[in-house]
Amino acid sequence: MKRVYLGEFEEIVLLLVAALQGEAYGVNITHEIIAQTSREVRINQVHASLQRLEEKGMITSRMSNPVAERGGRRKRLFTVTAYGTQTLHDIKEVRAHLWNLVPASI
Amino acid sequence: MSNKQLPPRWANQLLRWYCASHLLEEVEGDLQEEFDYQLKHSGVFKAKLDYIRSVFGFMKPFAIKRKHYTSTSITTMTKHYLLVAFRNVVRHKTFATLNVFGLALGMTCCLFIYLWIQDERSMDNFHTNGDRLFNVYQTITADGRIEGSYNTPMQFDSLGPKIPIADITQVAPEVKAISFYATGYELPWGHPETLQVGNSIHKWNGARANENFLTMFSYPVIAGDAATALKDIKGMAISRKLADVYFGSPENAVGKSIRYENRIDFVVNAVFENVTSNSTQQFDFLLNWESQMTQLAWASPAPLTSLLLTDASETKSVETKLNRLLQSRMDPNAPYKIELGLQPYRDQYLVAQFVNGKPQGGRFEYIRIFTYVALFILIIACINFMNLATARSIKRAKEVGVRKVVGSTRAGLIGQFFGESVVLALLGLLLSVALVVTLLPAFNLFTGKHVQLEFNLPIVLLLLSLVVFTGLVSGSYPALFLSGLKPAGILKNSLRFSKSSIWFRKGLATFQFVISIALLIATIVMTQQTQFIRNTNIGYDRENMVYISVEGELATPQGYQRFKQQASEVSGVLMVDRASETPHAMTFVVDRAEDGKTETADNSDAINWEGKEKGTPTGFKPMSVGFDFIPTMNLKIADGRGFSRQFATDSADAFMVNEEAVKQMGLKDPIGKWVSAWNKRGHIIGVLKNYNTHSLHEPIKPLIVDVKEYENFGVLLVRIENGKTKETLEGLEHVYKSINPNYAFAYQFLDEEYNKLYHTEHVVAQLSNAFAILAIIISCLGLLGLVMFSAEQRTKEFGIRKVLGASVNNIVSLLSLDFLKLVLLSFCIAAPLAGYVMHQWLQGFAYKIELSWWIFATSGVTAVLIAFLTIAFQALQSATTNPVKSLKTE
Repeated sequence: MKRVYLGEFEEIVLLLVAALQGEAYGVNITHEIIAQTSREVRINQVHASLQRLEEKGMITSRMSNPVAERGGRRKRLFTVTAYGTQTLHDIKEVRAHLWNLVPASI
Repeated sequence: MSNKQLPPRWANQLLRWYCASHLLEEVEGDLQEEFDYQLKHSGVFKAKLDYIRSVFGFMKPFAIKRKHYTSTSITTMTKHYLLVAFRNVVRHKTFATLNVFGLALGMTCCLFIYLWIQDERSMDNFHTNGDRLFNVYQTITADGRIEGSYNTPMQFDSLGPKIPIADITQVAPEVKAISFYATGYELPWGHPETLQVGNSIHKWNGARANENFLTMFSYPVIAGDAATALKDIKGMAISRKLADVYFGSPENAVGKSIRYENRIDFVVNAVFENVTSNSTQQFDFLLNWESQMTQLAWASPAPLTSLLLTDASETKSVETKLNRLLQSRMDPNAPYKIELGLQPYRDQYLVAQFVNGKPQGGRFEYIRIFTYVALFILIIACINFMNLATARSIKRAKEVGVRKVVGSTRAGLIGQFFGESVVLALLGLLLSVALVVTLLPAFNLFTGKHVQLEFNLPIVLLLLSLVVFTGLVSGSYPALFLSGLKPAGILKNSLRFSKSSIWFRKGLATFQFVISIALLIATIVMTQQTQFIRNTNIGYDRENMVYISVEGELATPQGYQRFKQQASEVSGVLMVDRASETPHAMTFVVDRAEDGKTETADNSDAINWEGKEKGTPTGFKPMSVGFDFIPTMNLKIADGRGFSRQFATDSADAFMVNEEAVKQMGLKDPIGKWVSAWNKRGHIIGVLKNYNTHSLHEPIKPLIVDVKEYENFGVLLVRIENGKTKETLEGLEHVYKSINPNYAFAYQFLDEEYNKLYHTEHVVAQLSNAFAILAIIISCLGLLGLVMFSAEQRTKEFGIRKVLGASVNNIVSLLSLDFLKLVLLSFCIAAPLAGYVMHQWLQGFAYKIELSWWIFATSGVTAVLIAFLTIAFQALQSATTNPVKSLKTE
């Protein structure tokens, strides 16, 4: 089976969606990325990435209840699909396999 | 927090503008949250800057692209909308019926008018060369007056008559062919001509045409050769009908000989298909042109010249060449000037009136009027729909509110309402097509046409566009207004009509009634005018009078005398006499050079009288009659005496003129003054009261009458006893057959022929009658709907009023007055409008009715009365309802 290509940034977003366990949405993902990786990201980049991931079928979304801090607007909450989980595992395995090939001296 | 910092408004608006609606909520929410976060951690400036950067950052395809509904949701929604539309129809049966019925009536009108117009337009429009065929018309300027007609200029010399433009093809290469055509049966001198083969004798309407006629025009030839049929002087062409009657089949007819008027033998060279009713030129047989110019009686008042051009754009240069050719051959000293012009052949039916010598107007006007009428009636029907929909919008508003809350888009709602009205329009169309099919025979009887409803492409397109048009127009208010309502407002407190929307509805109802009342006035005027023409005392008694053409043996002095004598003895015949022209439609005028001919050899005026100034020709209608003409026709004598056999001098010396002639001749004391007509000189013995010698479109013209006991042309007039028509005609036929065996007995009733002069007016009056009634009905349907709605709205109010002691009268007047005021207002607008238009229309008649106040009063009262009946029906119902019931309902 041909593997779906996943970009590095997409991989981070996907991992964070998995890490946030069903509570992931645009703002907290952005903040987590900044906190965990010290990268400068903007919320629109995260949205674009989420959009692509959803198109690829790695995540699904649902709308939350209205939230007062957001002026009564709802959040779009993301969860990883089975396919997304599988992809993450595949990536991890490939990486681990590749690390095994690398001499220990490095 | 009243002084809470907010993101920059413009950036937010920008975001709302470009962002796809299905993403907007989460994006806006995220940005808001982020903004608050930055506000806390980095300050206002950074937060705002960040917000703006992010808004621009979101300008990516994924955020801009609108999500499309998948096809399944479209079909689901369509199904749902159809279901809702159906439920609405079922739940509000009365409203739906009013709507559909009103629309159907409007569409029926439109369809009929369309069919009528199509039929009118198809006249003379079937010739293959149609684009390049032109009729020559002439404009004659004489004595300061300009007259136009389709006549062809003629020249007379020792060799006989000649047409000066006959060889135009030689000087103008743009002219491919020229044709001449003249009927043999038209007034004043023409009549159906008798053709005989063996013992078979019949009368037919014949015409004469030159050899190009059958090739230039598309009258299909089914046997023989079109190109040579009318070439030689013996040649003739006959219709399929004739061929069947005389020879059994078209193929048998070719080469056979037919005896014409018991005088000349012609050979059938071709048989053509029966001429269809959409041709202005109607003929059962064609004789060749050479015969017309040499051996036949000159029957038609106006021979028609037509040209086939190589290209339709050449008209200007051909007109110039025609005129140059004509001027070179006409007498330059003639007291009149003739100019020729070209008119497209297919326009001769619709644009056949001449204004200032040029073709302009005619039946075309009626087409225009009826197109407007059709549009107006359709608009009235659409307004009905709109009005009812507007009135009911309170109920639908709730539905709109709920729909919006559960997530319907505005586009979806607009689609729903338009869809509903288009569906109703479709129902209306089906009903109207059924109506048209059932009413078509009556319509054909009415208009004397043979219209058929064929579902060809143009008509299907028309029907579809009718549905779409009415659907869109009538659905526009609910679709555009209701769909824009704010759901919170509708659901919280029930929607009240704003002042403007009430005015809007009242305005629409007023508009409807303005049109209806205007149509009603127009109808009354048209009907009155037609009635006036038909029944007006035209100065003679046209009932129980038949006329017979003078021909065959009757054209000989002995034959005429024998017939007159024997016919007088037939029981039921009161009086027999003769006249040189049919007395109801005299077309011949002398001394006005109207037909381009001078009537005397030395070019002096044909008619002179005592004290006449030289060179002041007056247009006289001349007539020669028998001694008994005046009593036979029941004419009144204003002054002097009538012709009498007791005065020996009368047959040589006596003239009578009418009052108009006395006026135009400028005679103070006309009796005994000398007059001369052509070479006959005599004295005026009496003055006839004015009577109409021709159609009432024209004013009465001077008339000069003398006595000739016999002439070889004209008509025999027979006065028949009232109620004995059938047996008298049998007796007359018997006498006719014995004296004139080689001719078929044909007679015309004077009153019928008279009515034919006003056929167009009659049909138009009848049609507008029907349309006015329809318009009123449709308007009343709308009014009924409005009143019903209003009554329903005010059920409780009326209940309370009744409880507090209001009488039925109170409530009826409460409900009616509002609407009656609208009708009155409409009347005030419609009356002057219709009055002006009808005044213009009446200008086309020399004899016309006055636009008196009662016409307006009648239509006003009728409209108010009908409106009141409509309203009262509903008002009474709600006024008599038991208040207990109306108060209990919620």
